[in-house]
Amino acid sequence: MALLELPAWTALAPALLLALTAMALFIIDSIAPDSRNSGLLAGTTAAGSIVSLGVAVWYLLAGVGTPTVDGGRGVIDVLGNQFVVDQLALFFMVIVAVVTALVAVASYDYMEDHTYQAEYYSLVLLAATGMSFMAAANSLVTIFIALELASLPSYALVSILKDNRGSVEAGLKYFLIGALSSAIFVYGISLVYGATGHLQLENIAAVIEAGEVASDGGHEIADVGGLLGLGILMLIGGFAFKTASVPFHFWAPEAYEGAPAPISAFLSSASKAAGFVIAFRVFTEAFPVAETASAIGVDWALAFIILAIVTMTLGNFAAATQNNVKRMLAYSSIGHAGYALIGLAGISAGGGELVMGAAMMHLFVYGFMNTGAFLFVALAEYWGVGRTFEDYNGLGRRAPVACFALAIFMFSLAGIPPLGGFWSKYFLFTGALEAGLLVVAAALVINSALSLYYYSRLVKAVWIEEPAVERETLSQPVGLYAAIVVAAVMTLALLPLFGPVADTAVDAATAMLA
Amino acid sequence: MEDVFNYAPAIALFPLVAFVVALTFGKYMPKKGALAGIIATGGSLALSVLMLVAVASGEVYHETLYQWAIGDAASEIGADGIEFTFGILIDPLAALMLVIVSLIAFLVHIFSLGYMNAEGETGLPRYYASLGLFTFSMLAFVYADNLLMAFMFFELVGLCSYLLIGFWFRTRSAPSAAKKAFLVTRFGDYFFLLGVVAIAATFGTVAFAGDNSFIAAAESAIDNGDTLFGFGAETWVTITALLVLGGVIGKSAQFPLHTWLPDAMEGPTTVSALIHAATMVAAGVYLVARMFGYYALSPTALAIIAFVGGFTALFAATMGVVKDDIKQVLAYSTISQYGYMMLGLGVGGYVAGVFHLMNHAFFKALLFLGAGAVIVLMHHEQDMWKMGGLKDKAPITYYTFLAGALALAGIIPFSGFWSKDEILYDALIIGLEEPIILAAYAMALLAVFFTGFYTFRMVFLTFHGEPRSEAAEDPHDIGWSIKAPLVVLGVLALVAGIANLAPVAKLAQIDITFLEHWLDGEYGAVEGLTYSAYGELLAYETAYIGGEQLTVLIAAGVSLLLAFSGAGLAWKLYSVPEPVAHKERLGGARQTLESNYYQDEYQVWLAEGVTQPLARAADRFDQTVIDGVVNSVSTASLFSSSRLKRIQTGLVTNYAALLVAGFIGLLLVLGYVGGWFL
Repeated sequence: MALLELPAWTALAPALLLALTAMALFIIDSIAPDSRNSGLLAGTTAAGSIVSLGVAVWYLLAGVGTPTVDGGRGVIDVLGNQFVVDQLALFFMVIVAVVTALVAVASYDYMEDHTYQAEYYSLVLLAATGMSFMAAANSLVTIFIALELASLPSYALVSILKDNRGSVEAGLKYFLIGALSSAIFVYGISLVYGATGHLQLENIAAVIEAGEVASDGGHEIADVGGLLGLGILMLIGGFAFKTASVPFHFWAPEAYEGAPAPISAFLSSASKAAGFVIAFRVFTEAFPVAETASAIGVDWALAFIILAIVTMTLGNFAAATQNNVKRMLAYSSIGHAGYALIGLAGISAGGGELVMGAAMMHLFVYGFMNTGAFLFVALAEYWGVGRTFEDYNGLGRRAPVACFALAIFMFSLAGIPPLGGFWSKYFLFTGALEAGLLVVAAALVINSALSLYYYSRLVKAVWIEEPAVERETLSQPVGLYAAIVVAAVMTLALLPLFGPVADTAVDAATAMLA
Repeated sequence: MEDVFNYAPAIALFPLVAFVVALTFGKYMPKKGALAGIIATGGSLALSVLMLVAVASGEVYHETLYQWAIGDAASEIGADGIEFTFGILIDPLAALMLVIVSLIAFLVHIFSLGYMNAEGETGLPRYYASLGLFTFSMLAFVYADNLLMAFMFFELVGLCSYLLIGFWFRTRSAPSAAKKAFLVTRFGDYFFLLGVVAIAATFGTVAFAGDNSFIAAAESAIDNGDTLFGFGAETWVTITALLVLGGVIGKSAQFPLHTWLPDAMEGPTTVSALIHAATMVAAGVYLVARMFGYYALSPTALAIIAFVGGFTALFAATMGVVKDDIKQVLAYSTISQYGYMMLGLGVGGYVAGVFHLMNHAFFKALLFLGAGAVIVLMHHEQDMWKMGGLKDKAPITYYTFLAGALALAGIIPFSGFWSKDEILYDALIIGLEEPIILAAYAMALLAVFFTGFYTFRMVFLTFHGEPRSEAAEDPHDIGWSIKAPLVVLGVLALVAGIANLAPVAKLAQIDITFLEHWLDGEYGAVEGLTYSAYGELLAYETAYIGGEQLTVLIAAGVSLLLAFSGAGLAWKLYSVPEPVAHKERLGGARQTLESNYYQDEYQVWLAEGVTQPLARAADRFDQTVIDGVVNSVSTASLFSSSRLKRIQTGLVTNYAALLVAGFIGLLLVLGYVGGWFL
C-alpha cells in the first residue's frame, strides 16, 4: 500500500477531510447564498463523512496503530506528538464519521424547508471535525481546542431552529453549562500543568512515574498531590460534561429535547463517543494508575466508579416515567454514558483492557442504535404525530418498516440477546466482574432490567396500542428512511461483525494500557 | 466385516427419514406413509441382521460420532471435566435387541396396512410419522453408548408413546390415558435424570463401555474404599443405581408405577403391540441389562429389583384374571411378564432376563397383533364376553394366538417356558441362600398359576364355545397383511426357545446354550460387558436341592405343574358352550381385584389430596410474597423515578448550582480518601 509514502500529517486525513468538506460547503454557500438545494448540501456532507469513514477504515485495515512487531505500521505522531493516530483514534473516527453520515442523510428531509441549510451542514461538519480531532489529540492543549471546536458548533446547532423557543432556550442552557464546564476543565488543565510542568500526555506520565519534576529547581510530585488530584478531578468534570455524565449532565435532557432530532442523535452518539475517547486517552496515557494513586493518595478509578453508578442509575430512573419520547431517549443516553464509564472504572494496575474494550464496543454499537432511535423521533417530528408515547400509539400499522427498525433499536438499547447491545453490555458486565467491581456489575444489571421497562413501553406503543386518532397514510421521506434502515441493518449486522469490532476494540485498549 | 459398522447410524436414521417423509408428504402418498415406514424398517431390519452377523463373526463397534458439549466441572472422582457425546455401541446385547426391535417394528408396519389403512382411519400420516419417530428413537436408545444419550432417547420414546396413545384424540378416554402415561412415566424419569446427573457428577463420565466407563469407575471406587459425597462408595452406587431404577420402573410398568400401562391400551392395537408390549416397555429392562455391571456392584439394588419384579409378576397376574377386555388382559400380563424379567436380572440371571425379554417381545407382539386381528374380526369389539367360537372361522388367527398363549403360559416346548423356567431356576438357587430372594421366587412361582389361568380364560372365551354376539357369528374378513406377521411371530413363539435350552443342556450335558455363549462374548464382545464379567461382580451365593440336575427338574416340574393347573382350571370353567363369569366365587377379593387394588385411587389421592394443596400453598406464596416483592420493587422504582425527574427544574441557575455542588461532593469524597486536606 501507498501509505508509507504519504507524509505523516495525512494520518489525520479522516478529520481533515471533514474540515475540508465544511470548507466546500462554505464555498457552495457563498456562490449561491439563497439556494435551498438541500440535496446538494446533504449529499456533500454525507459524501465527505463517508470518505472520511472510508479512509479511517482503510487505515485501520492497513495496520496504522497496530504495533510494528505484529506486522502493523505503528502509531503515527503528528505535529511533534500533539496528535497521535493509533487504533483508538481511528476506532472513534469511524464512529464519528458513521454518525455524521447518518445524520446528514436524515437531515435531508428533516431540514427540507429550513432557511439556514448551508450553515447547518457546515456546523455539523465542523463539530464532527472537532470530535475527530478529539480522538487523535494527545496533549491537553490540543484536547481543549478540539473539544471547543466540537462544542461551539454544537451550541449553535441546538438552537438552529430560531423560531422555536424550546430550541433557543435549550441552546442557551447548553451554552451556559458548557461555559461553566469548560472553565472547570481549563482550570484543571492549568492545575495539572502547574503540578507537572507539562501538557503533553506522555510527558505528564513520565513526570508522575519519575515522582519529581526535574526542571526549574524541581519538586516532589507527592508534595503537590492535592493540587494534581484537584486538577485531575476537574479534567474529569470536563469529560463528564462532554459525555453527559452526572453531575454535568443537566444540559442534556433539555438540549436533546429542544434541538432538531438529528442534532440530538449527533450529540448523544458522536459527541458522547468523542468525550469518551479523550477520557480514555488522558487517563490511560497521562495518569498511569499505580503511580498516580501513590502521588495523589487515591485511585482515580474510584471517581469513575462513583460516576458510573450514579450516572446509570439517575439516567435510567429518570427515564422510566417520562411521557415525552425524546426526553426519555435523552435520559437513556445519560444512562448509557454510565455504562460506558465502567470502561474507565474497571481500569486498574493489573489490567482492564477487556472492560475498556467493552466500553468501546458499547460506544460503537450505541453509535448505530441510539442514532437510529433519535432519527425515528426525527421521523415522527417530520410526520408531526406529536411528542408523547400516546402520540406514537399504533404507528406500527402505518409505517411498519420504520417501526420494526425502532423495535430493533429499543431491544438493542435494552440489551436483549442476540442484538448488538446485548453483547457489548455482556462484555461490560463480565469485564466489571473480572475487575472485581461487584457493585458496578450489580448496578448495570438492575439498571438494564429497569431500562427494559421504558424501552419496551415505546415498542408496545407503536405496535400494540390502538391509535388515539385515525391517521392518514404517512409519507415516507427517503433520507430519513434510508438512515433509519441503515442504522437498523447495522445494529443487526453487528452480530456477525461483532468479532472484528470486538478484536479491534480490545486491541486498541490493550495498546493504550500497555 | 468391520466396514459393515459404518452403516450402523443408518439403522436409526432410516425410520427418521420415514418420519419426515410421512409427516410432509404422507397425505399425498398412496398408503399415507405406510410404504415409507415399511421400507425404512425393512432397511433397518436388514442392517440389524448384518450387525448381528458381524458381531457373530467376532467384531464389535464402539465409536463416538459427535461431541456436543465439553464441561470442565470437577467430578467427585475420576477425570476432571466431562464430555457429552453421541456414540454407538454395538455389542452382542445391542445387536440382539436391534434385530428384535426392527423386526417387530417391520411386522407392525405391515400389520398396520390391514389394521389401520384397510379400516379407513383418518390421520394416517400422523400415525406413520409417530411410528417412524418411535422406531428411530427406540433403535437409537438401543445402541446408545452412554447414559445421557440413552436418557434422551428414553424420553423421546416416551413422547412417541404419548402421541400414539392419544392417536384418537377426539375420544374422551384416549387423551386422558395419554396424559396419564406421560405423567406417570415422567415421574419415574425424574429420578432417572437425577441418577444421570449424580453419576456424571460422581465419576465424570456417562459412558457404558470402555476403560473410562462409569461402571469401571464405580468398581475401582468400591475397591479403593472411596468416600463419595459423604457416603461409602457402595452406598452411593446403590443410591444412584436406584435413582436410575426410577426411570426403569416407570417405563417397564413395575409396581407402583404400572398404572399407566392398562390405560395405554386406548391407543391403536398395533401401537400396543409395538410400544406397550414388545419394545418401549422393554426399554426399562434393557437399560438394566445395558448397565448391568453397575447394578451388579450393589447387592441391595439387585435385591430390590428382584423383589419388585417378583411382586409385580404376581400382583399384575392376579388383576389379569378378572378383566373382560381382551387388551386389558394382555396389558396386565405384560406388566407381569416384565416383572419376571426384573426378577431374572435381579438375581443375576442376566442371560435369563435377556432371554425372556426376547421371547416375550415375540409372543407378546404376537398376542397383541392376534388381539388386533380378533378386534378386526369382531368389528371393533373388545369385550371377550361378546366373542366366542372364532376358532373355526379364523383358523390362522386362532392357531397363531394359541402359540402365543402357550408361550405366555409357559407350556413346554414353547419359547416362554424356557426363559421363564430359567428365571425361576436362577431365582431358586439364589433364594435357597437369600430369604428375600426366596420370597420373590415364591411370588413369581405363584404367578405362574395365575398366568396359565388368565391366558387360557382369554383363549377359551375368545375362540371356543358358541358365538355370543352377531359380530362373532359373522366375522369381518382379514387380509394377508394381518395374517403374514401373525405367522412369522407364531413360528418364533414356538421355536425361539431353541436359543437357550438351558435345562436340557444341564440334564443332557450337551452344549446348546447358544444365547449364553452369545452374551458371554464367545463371538464378539466389548470387554467388561459379558455374562461372565458380570458374574465376577455378583456377590450371590448359590445352593441346590440335592444336586444341580435335581434342582433343575424340581424347578421346571413345579412351574409346569402350576401352569398346567392354571390352564386346566380355566379349561374347566370356561371351555364350555355357554361360559359364565364365576366372579362371585371370588367373594370379597372380587371388588379389590376389579378395582386393581385401588392403585389408581390412591395415586389420584396423592395428586389431589397431597400434591394439590402443596401446589396451592406454593402458588399462594408466589402470588403474595414473591409477586408482592416484585410489584413493590416496580412501585418503588417508578416512585423514585418521578422524584428524580424533579431535579431537572428547567432553571439553568439551579443546574449550575447542582453541578458545582455535585462536583464539590465528588471532590470531598476523593479528597477525604486521598487525604488532600491534611
